[in-house]
Amino acid sequence: MNPLQRAAGSRIAAARVGIGGPVGSGKTALVERLIPALMARGVDLAIITNDLVTAEDAERIRRSGLIDPARVSAVEAGACPHTVIREDPTLNIEAADDLERRFPGVELILIESGGDNLASTFSRDLTDFWMFVIDVGGGDDIPRKRGPGVIRCDTLVINKTDLAPYVGVDLERMRQQALAVRDNRPVLLTNCRKGEGIDAVVSAIERDVLFRA
Amino acid sequence: MLRLHGVLGHESDTLYHARLHALEHHDGIELLFVPSEEAGRKRFRLATDRGTDCAVSLARGEELVDGALLYIDEEKAIVARFGRQRVWRLRPAHAAAALKLGWNAGNLHWRVRFEEDCLAILLDGPLAGYRARIAHLLDAGDIVELADV
Repeated sequence: MNPLQRAAGSRIAAARVGIGGPVGSGKTALVERLIPALMARGVDLAIITNDLVTAEDAERIRRSGLIDPARVSAVEAGACPHTVIREDPTLNIEAADDLERRFPGVELILIESGGDNLASTFSRDLTDFWMFVIDVGGGDDIPRKRGPGVIRCDTLVINKTDLAPYVGVDLERMRQQALAVRDNRPVLLTNCRKGEGIDAVVSAIERDVLFRA
Repeated sequence: MLRLHGVLGHESDTLYHARLHALEHHDGIELLFVPSEEAGRKRFRLATDRGTDCAVSLARGEELVDGALLYIDEEKAIVARFGRQRVWRLRPAHAAAALKLGWNAGNLHWRVRFEEDCLAILLDGPLAGYRARIAHLLDAGDIVELADV
């Protein structure tokens, strides 16, 4: 039997994309830019945010007016954020399952981790693809430190590119060093405040996760 | 792009044996080599050994195994092949070393299996990176490497 014929009889689960990275690197800002960009391309979307002991990021996105607030779920880690995206991602898996039950047509669920450190990674049980967001304000030595988040993610996003001249960062050298430690796997540059570089992130999701191109 | 969803069966299934055998004679079997560290993925995009661009998705409860049949028609079949999982086996020299090794493996989030008196570490990256993390235990003779991976 052709797998496509087989698939026609059973709904294909929504793709789950993780977004991790250090505190303040711009994960929520990236989500806020991705929502309208993905919706403009017709992607049926839902969001999960992770915070330590609040629903701060979820409330920020719900209030943004960018998406139906019912499509935004909050997970409170209660401990180190990586514990609920890697060691025991049950809370996030249940939140994603719940969104799929409530919104049967959803194609993509973005799962934003709480701010963590360079060792943070996502479990394959939770996500199909994950991005790690760092920013130039953290210093251009971040890629050279070879944190597992930087090395293992499917796409590394270097955000706040507009700040490079003000913090003494050679952006192109930082990008080259990131590519070198990642064996040339994808590195994208964004300035989420102005929406620069977002199209490339959306295209990567469409190509590698949603299989649209 | 060939969009594939779900595992049809296994190449050893009697249900598919005759058709796969016939396709084999016509050079119609394509192999999709999946790196062992990527085996847990439920969605991925990879090219077969013949260059067919495959966009693969699995159900959440479904698992990809070596020999999984992903596609079959009159012209060709696509079968998943896994690279061999690299395993680094370590034997602690004494109980205190075993505690230290266990602590390090847990703290470093290594994927491990327990094999009697050895710890088998399933490698997701270069061995040198792993070895560097417990070099002090190896140098002191607290941990013995059983074999190269």
